Amino acid sequence: MVATAFSSLVPMETEEAQIARGLRRRDTDLLDALIEQYQHRLLRYLLHLTGNRSTAEDLFQETWLRVLEKGHLYDGRNRFVTWLMSIGHNVAIDFLRKRNPSSLDEMQDPEDGAPFEPEAGGPSPLDMAVAQQHHEMFDAALSQVPPLFREVLVLRFQEQMKLEEIAQLIRIPVSTVKTRIYRGVMALRPALKGGRQ
Amino acid sequence: MTNHEHERAIELITQNGVEEIASADAAWLQSHLAMCTECAEYAGLVSSTGQLLRSVAVTANPALVMTTQTRVRARATYLHEQRSRMVLIAISFCIGAMSSALSAWLWWRFGGWVAQHVGLSTAIVEPGILLFLLLPAIVIAGLLLVFPHPIFEGSLMLGLAGEHEGEKR
Repeated sequence: MVATAFSSLVPMETEEAQIARGLRRRDTDLLDALIEQYQHRLLRYLLHLTGNRSTAEDLFQETWLRVLEKGHLYDGRNRFVTWLMSIGHNVAIDFLRKRNPSSLDEMQDPEDGAPFEPEAGGPSPLDMAVAQQHHEMFDAALSQVPPLFREVLVLRFQEQMKLEEIAQLIRIPVSTVKTRIYRGVMALRPALKGGRQ
Repeated sequence: MTNHEHERAIELITQNGVEEIASADAAWLQSHLAMCTECAEYAGLVSSTGQLLRSVAVTANPALVMTTQTRVRARATYLHEQRSRMVLIAISFCIGAMSSALSAWLWWRFGGWVAQHVGLSTAIVEPGILLFLLLPAIVIAGLLLVFPHPIFEGSLMLGLAGEHEGEKR
């Protein structure tokens, strides 16, 4: 893994700059390494965005093809992951425009309603069962949250992105990001309350 | 408590964890949360949301990664070939333009030489040379004007398109 290998040796700016140089050259070895490195994060984001595993996998491939084609536009000044997610966001938006649904929720496949595999935690089978049930409740609640809010929740809490990064990625004001986070959290409130009891 | 205080608290709760907040703001938030049950509840919800979202494990299938890498490599090769073709086309265009300019100049000189030796007026020879150079373009333009477009496209363009369709099949 090229990107991982040099991340421990050189400062972040240099790593991003090297990725930018590699993308301008359409360096396939670098792209292989980046696909390996960011596979889970990108797929997780697309999965939360679309709510459908097969769609997310298709968009995952399209995102990397677009990274190859648009790689020269990445200047290395921002984090690569932010740029990658913005490409994924645009690919998903383009896909939705082609399918022309009224919202992302219409993409949800009822048979593929639980695409996530929560890690079971806890030492005893009872704890594991409770945790599993809680995760399932949360996943079900999360899938009911409007995609606009779900997207910012995932970027914020799962990808640990700064508000400015999210705003840059989705191309919305920071104030809108804050509002969406608030409304998204409040939409999850019943499930979170249920889980605590 | 004012709405402004609640808004400030919610903003700080949202920033907390990922972004750094000043120690004075953190202290103010703690004191506010101790007094405001609504904001304290929101802070709890944010914390739970973060914990649950981070605990969700989504892993990409190795086959998906391999397929993606293969597709990316294939597209990179295609783009490289396309770029090479574009360079060749650009070079051919430049050579064509240069040779056209040179040959036009030579024909013009030849016309002048003919006019001088045969005794024709340059007022006749020069437009004649110009017409000779522009004749192919004039003929094609005339054909496009005379024949209706669908017929012309049907005979030539669709023939080319049919060839592409055949290739796809």
